Amino acid sequence: MVENPVSARFYTLLEREVQRFVRRPWNTFLPPMITNVLYFSVFGVILGTRIQEIQGFSYILFLLPGLVVLGAISNAFENASFSIFHGRWNEYIHETITSPLSYTEMVLAYVLSSASRGIVVGVIIAVIGAFFTPVGVEQPFYLVAFMLVVSLLFAALGVVGGLVAKDFDHLTVMNQFILRPLVFFGGVFYSLEILPSLWRTVSLLNPMVYMVNGVRYGFLGYSDVDPNTALAVLSGLTIGVVALDIAMFARGYGLTD
Amino acid sequence: MTLAIDATDLEKDYGDVRALDGLNLSVEQGEFFGLLGPNGAGKTTFINTLVGLVRKTGGEVTVFGNDVEDEYREVRDSIGLAPQEFNVDRFFPIREVLMHKAGYHGVSEAERERRADEALKLVGIYDKRNTRFDWLSGGMKRRLLLARAIVTEPNLLILDEPTAGVDVQLRHDLWEVINRLNDEGTTILLTTHYIEEAERLCDRVAIMDSGRKVTVATPEELTERGSDTITVELRDPPASAPPLDGLSEVEDTRLEDDRLAVRVAGSGGRVAPRLLNALEDRGHEITDIDISRTSLEEIFVELTEGQRGSDEPDGDGTGEDGTADEPARLAGEAR
Ligand SMILES: Nc1ncnc2c1ncn2[C@@H]1O[C@H](COP(=O)(O)OP(=O)(O)OP(=O)(O)O)[C@@H](O)[C@H]1O
Ligand SMILES: [Mg+2]
Repeated sequence: MVENPVSARFYTLLEREVQRFVRRPWNTFLPPMITNVLYFSVFGVILGTRIQEIQGFSYILFLLPGLVVLGAISNAFENASFSIFHGRWNEYIHETITSPLSYTEMVLAYVLSSASRGIVVGVIIAVIGAFFTPVGVEQPFYLVAFMLVVSLLFAALGVVGGLVAKDFDHLTVMNQFILRPLVFFGGVFYSLEILPSLWRTVSLLNPMVYMVNGVRYGFLGYSDVDPNTALAVLSGLTIGVVALDIAMFARGYGLTD
Repeated sequence: MTLAIDATDLEKDYGDVRALDGLNLSVEQGEFFGLLGPNGAGKTTFINTLVGLVRKTGGEVTVFGNDVEDEYREVRDSIGLAPQEFNVDRFFPIREVLMHKAGYHGVSEAERERRADEALKLVGIYDKRNTRFDWLSGGMKRRLLLARAIVTEPNLLILDEPTAGVDVQLRHDLWEVINRLNDEGTTILLTTHYIEEAERLCDRVAIMDSGRKVTVATPEELTERGSDTITVELRDPPASAPPLDGLSEVEDTRLEDDRLAVRVAGSGGRVAPRLLNALEDRGHEITDIDISRTSLEEIFVELTEGQRGSDEPDGDGTGEDGTADEPARLAGEAR
């Protein structure tokens, strides 16, 4: 009855999930392009000339890694949460969950496809940024590692979001009230060095700080925090959230009556 | 041989609603099995526990000997489901939807295309293969659900009201496809509100109500349980209905003009010759005779209303099912 090993099932779902956003580039890739052209123009070019250098980098250059992270994680999160929620809403996720995929295969397909969308968007933003300011890659290993981990982490969080949401507004709420504040206070737009020490300490509780600084370390070779610690903490967090995803699928949370 | 489906004391609560209340049901391999019951009886809930869309609250169910929770992958691999509600992927053209479904079941890439095309041709919507689900007509959507259910070549095909709201032509087409699959060895579980459909297709039917099985039997056995009515036309009708004491099957007699209607338990065909003899012995001349059977539909209504109207059926009496005392109860009830 089973003609192919496990991989055929898994790759079918992975491919389906990737096709879902690749075939709709106007909905998936164009919006972050436009947004980031605006960010770079306003914050980098127009305002940036009036902001002094941060740790020896022009403001636009300091900003670039933060915008890459912001684009990657919000797209990874949105992809996973939307795909799962839309599938639940229209019940076509039943096609997947009544099939003989293991719960781990289901989760990995959703997480990997969503993370890949996040990474593609991150690359697009970096390329756009390079049109505004010359940028190099000082620490390629860290850049790749952090981009992978942050995209996977937010894809995995998106799976949780897609499972717990009760209607479309909840997805917006998660984005606006959780993701955005974390990002804005996560050192995308400023260096922690400029904060009073109390706020600097509080900021260190924000996981976004480690992501932004990790990717910034990859691009610029500068970070407010230790990149190795950051990578270890984020990797642990990612594994934890993926495990939570798998447990939720196995329990049928949000998927079964 | 292991059973295709074996449910023991199956329970499902949705909050306060008890949808399955100790259901015991077994379906043999290769059977064409009908599941009948009024709205809300728990048919869809039962089906959904098999494929993992509903988590049972208690009891056990196996599909081809595999537990639906512990061996969920084996179970899901063996089932093709055409659900009651449309739940089809809206992003992709339907041919790709079928290919995806086959892929989830581990079918190789080349084989997926072949199967998708074959299934679409079988249900007669091949020319719509590049259309999205939303743009199909209602009947075509039903057809697609069947195509999606069979594209994985399941050993157990479950059809939850596949003919609800479809035209006569499609209904006959569906029957033909399903019958052929059954002849080739596929076990079929069908729910329907068209009783004559079950009567015509199914080897056995279960009637369920309020989350429990009321009875299981062949359609013939069920209609046997009802009372038939023999109507005879008499040349010189008497003033009142003649007594027919010699015939123990007779439940009731009624005379209207020249027509005598005699209700008998069991098969009217078996009683008719003796009834005619008895009437002729009394000097009546018979000009015409007609035997009408109770339809399965009438039996169905009685069985399910009986459940509803009477007190809760007692726990121990029902046990495995309430079959043993049904005929007596049916016969005893006023029509
Ligand atoms: N998701 C759900 N949440 C709460 N109650 C439910 C849910 N699904 C079904 N029910 C209830 O469970 C009972 C059985 O419903 P089910 O859908 O299994 O019936 P059915 O026999 O398939 O009926 P129909 O012939 O109308 O399709 C009903 O009382 C129904 O209201
Ligand atoms: Mg139903």
